[in-house]
Amino acid sequence: MAIIVNLDVMMAKRKMSLNELSEKVNVSLANLSKLKTGKVKAIRFSTLNAVCEVLDCQPGDILEHSDQE
Amino acid sequence: MSNTNHSIFSGLKIVAWVIFIGLCIEAGSLILNFIFSMVNPDMVGDLYQKLDLRELREESEWAFFSMYSIILSIAVVKAHLFYIVTQMMQKIDLAKPFNRLVSKQISQISYYALAAGLLSYLGRQSARNFEHKGFELDAVSHFWADSQAFILMAAVIYVIAIIFSKGVDYQEELEETV
Repeated sequence: MAIIVNLDVMMAKRKMSLNELSEKVNVSLANLSKLKTGKVKAIRFSTLNAVCEVLDCQPGDILEHSDQE
Repeated sequence: MSNTNHSIFSGLKIVAWVIFIGLCIEAGSLILNFIFSMVNPDMVGDLYQKLDLRELREESEWAFFSMYSIILSIAVVKAHLFYIVTQMMQKIDLAKPFNRLVSKQISQISYYALAAGLLSYLGRQSARNFEHKGFELDAVSHFWADSQAFILMAAVIYVIAIIFSKGVDYQEELEETV
């Protein structure tokens, strides 16, 4: 995949569990888990905004582009 | 889904099953007719449809077999077409209709409708050719009466199948969006 999701890295930096994040951003645990493992096709701006607010970071801290497929 | 839609859908399911059973009986009886016309032609007059083509067979074996094969093919294709319709109506969930299986079945319905239409058209043209050569084929003319209707139906269903397929793509994309 060309877009790498670094959600787990940011969560580790903020010492936040997936359950806690799920409650705070109001996204189901299953969907957040899919996002963390990069198994989703798209992410809504509203979700990205909520995650960035809770983790106090920028979208670029969570998403990264890679040339490798 | 509202109660009215649920009732209409249940009614349509029953209608589809009735048509399917009717077409199966027709196809089966035509196959029996064919078998009896080969084995014991005197019995054909007592069977359903009474499709007695003995005179045609005496004049030309080629005309007899080509007419019968087209008639049987049309009957079997129509029966299979309605089998797919009944299966689709059993499996479709109107609350969440866009899935790959239903999309595939709608496409198949359009292909089978086209096949039935083209076979009917072929049968009608062949019957005309044989009539020009002096054969009497009035008894079989009703088998290809609805060729244009089937071709038109195939075209409409094909367009619906394409739209449905696009709907499935959109739904899958939506499901994979967080």
